[in-house]
Amino acid sequence: MNPLESLRLAWRSIRGHRLRSALTTLGIVIGIAAVIAFVTLGASLQAGVIGDISPDDQRNVYGWAAEPDSEGGPLAGAQPVFTQDDLEAVEDLEDVEAAYGYATLQTQAISNGEETVAQGSGMIASGPSYIREERIAEGRQFEMEADEAVLNPAAANQFEENVSLNDTLTVAMLGGQQTDVKVVGITDNSEGLSPFEGFESSPRIYVPTDPYYTEQASMLGIGGGGGAGGGTDGGNQSVTGGEARFLAIIVEAESADQADIDAARESATDYLESDASDASELLGNDLEVQFQTSTELLGQLEDVLNLLQNFIVGIAAISLLVGSIGIANIMLVSVTERTREIGIMKAVGAQNRDILGLFLTESVILGIIGAILGTGLGLVAGYLGAQYIDLPLVYPLEYVALAIAVGMVVGILAGLYPAWRAARTDPIDALRYE
Amino acid sequence: MASSDTAVSLSNVRKTYRIGEPVHALDGVSLEVSRGSYTAIMGPSGSGKSTLMNLVGCLDTPTEGTVVVGGRDVGALSDRERTQLRGTEVGFVFQTFNLMPRLNAVENVALPQLFQGIDRDERRERARNLLERVGLGDRIDHMPNELSGGQRQRVALARALVNDPAIVLADEPSGNLDTDTEADILDLFDEFHEGGTTMLVVTHERHVAERADRIIHLLDGKIERIEELDGTGESRTGSPAGQEPGGSSE
Repeated sequence: MNPLESLRLAWRSIRGHRLRSALTTLGIVIGIAAVIAFVTLGASLQAGVIGDISPDDQRNVYGWAAEPDSEGGPLAGAQPVFTQDDLEAVEDLEDVEAAYGYATLQTQAISNGEETVAQGSGMIASGPSYIREERIAEGRQFEMEADEAVLNPAAANQFEENVSLNDTLTVAMLGGQQTDVKVVGITDNSEGLSPFEGFESSPRIYVPTDPYYTEQASMLGIGGGGGAGGGTDGGNQSVTGGEARFLAIIVEAESADQADIDAARESATDYLESDASDASELLGNDLEVQFQTSTELLGQLEDVLNLLQNFIVGIAAISLLVGSIGIANIMLVSVTERTREIGIMKAVGAQNRDILGLFLTESVILGIIGAILGTGLGLVAGYLGAQYIDLPLVYPLEYVALAIAVGMVVGILAGLYPAWRAARTDPIDALRYE
Repeated sequence: MASSDTAVSLSNVRKTYRIGEPVHALDGVSLEVSRGSYTAIMGPSGSGKSTLMNLVGCLDTPTEGTVVVGGRDVGALSDRERTQLRGTEVGFVFQTFNLMPRLNAVENVALPQLFQGIDRDERRERARNLLERVGLGDRIDHMPNELSGGQRQRVALARALVNDPAIVLADEPSGNLDTDTEADILDLFDEFHEGGTTMLVVTHERHVAERADRIIHLLDGKIERIEELDGTGESRTGSPAGQEPGGSSE
């Protein structure tokens, strides 16, 4: 019997049990849809995060000093070792375009005139070019050694009366000191500007490290301070006196070219680890300076995302397994129910392989229909999900082909035993079967 | 060995089932069915009728002796070859019709040819012709549940004939039919018999058996006697005393 005829007969029997076939298929639909939806969301999430690395950002390398084996993403295990002098020296290096520090300042509240808003973090001290020109929607970058700030829209809009250029905000620092900043610029959106911040949207105020960070550091009497996840473990820090030391620094290469980036990274590392630098005093034997690009840092983030996604897809795959057991079960029932038909077919000359082919075809059709519907449903669910959490939609199209293949394989595996049982049916018994 | 005039021949056939004690369902049966003949097999329940049917129908193999169908020794064939032989040389007509419920009349008739790999259009054409010959030319697209019992049995007969088999095996072909319909079907059997088809009918109703050229009486797995009928049909007027209250499905 040729495959087309098997297909025709199998389709006939599937249509003969519409409800049952639909319910059987549903198991596969849900399994495949879940896998496709989560894979789509995962791909969209990654695209969303990676898409935030602007070309201009790609020439930055982000550096900190930590023990070589520290794991856990940007700034893991970082210690405040870099001084302003170090940064100036690095900036003078041949391969380096610019170098500046990065620190988050601990704040309590921010006031705009009468109105005060509690804000514990989100004040970021850095160099002027940290805020790239193309990200500024209004105004300009702040200048070093000036009481200026650039806000992102989330920070600007958190007051009843929106902050506009040239307004002055009063910031209450963690220690209780009050300091004024003049708003000179507002960025285009509220997502983070570098992997140090993270890329989620939240209110942020960008200020120059000098005076804000240097002041806070010296007031608190510590060599460094703040910094995402940066612990200051007291004691030995006092040797640095009142001089501000940075936990994190950013070095701009001449271009986003990999060679330029590597050159900048190498010369900055060489300098900072040499005896000429202030940092070397504190590096000792334990700490190592490391520089990474956004892409490299995101790679680590991606690993975490992938792990999470694999976990969820694994759960979805279990539902696919349950669905395939459903197909196997229904096919077994179907074989028993159609024992007499099998007997008839064998009596009129059907070979075992014809019967095998017929039942296998049936379960493969169920599997493929389930896969196609599931893929459609999964893509729609992925689309809605991506819309809902505002991500750029990325369809992992290779997974669509994979889903169909999986549907086919599930159909074959689930149908194999029932079809084998059908093929082995003794026609004499089958014809007597009521 | 059978000559080319022989459709089916059994020699010293024994079939033993082992369910606890060995039971000889058939015990040394020898029989020749020549081409174009019309044979009836009668006997009480347990006399071996079904076993004989299964052997002649290539559904089963003998424990001892040989069964030759269409010139081939059934016992010596592989399962696959036996199935092939059954598909081409044997046509079945069952008491319960045994049509495929989800196939219409013409598809049911064409089913045996499907397994012989014959082209779809050719199959349909042949099936349509046969349905016309059994008087169902206007019902070829009907599903089995849209047909009466008699019509279903006509479809089954057409299906049995579709591969031009060496022999048509009918197992109580009128057991589920009322008297009028039964006569119609048996008339149709006569018609095809006259056209050269070899018929083997298993029945326990005398008046059905009397349509044949000869009646083979089985008892306890052995041929009790062979009754040659003269073919004039004079025995057909016999009383319906032996007739069981057969149910009508119409």
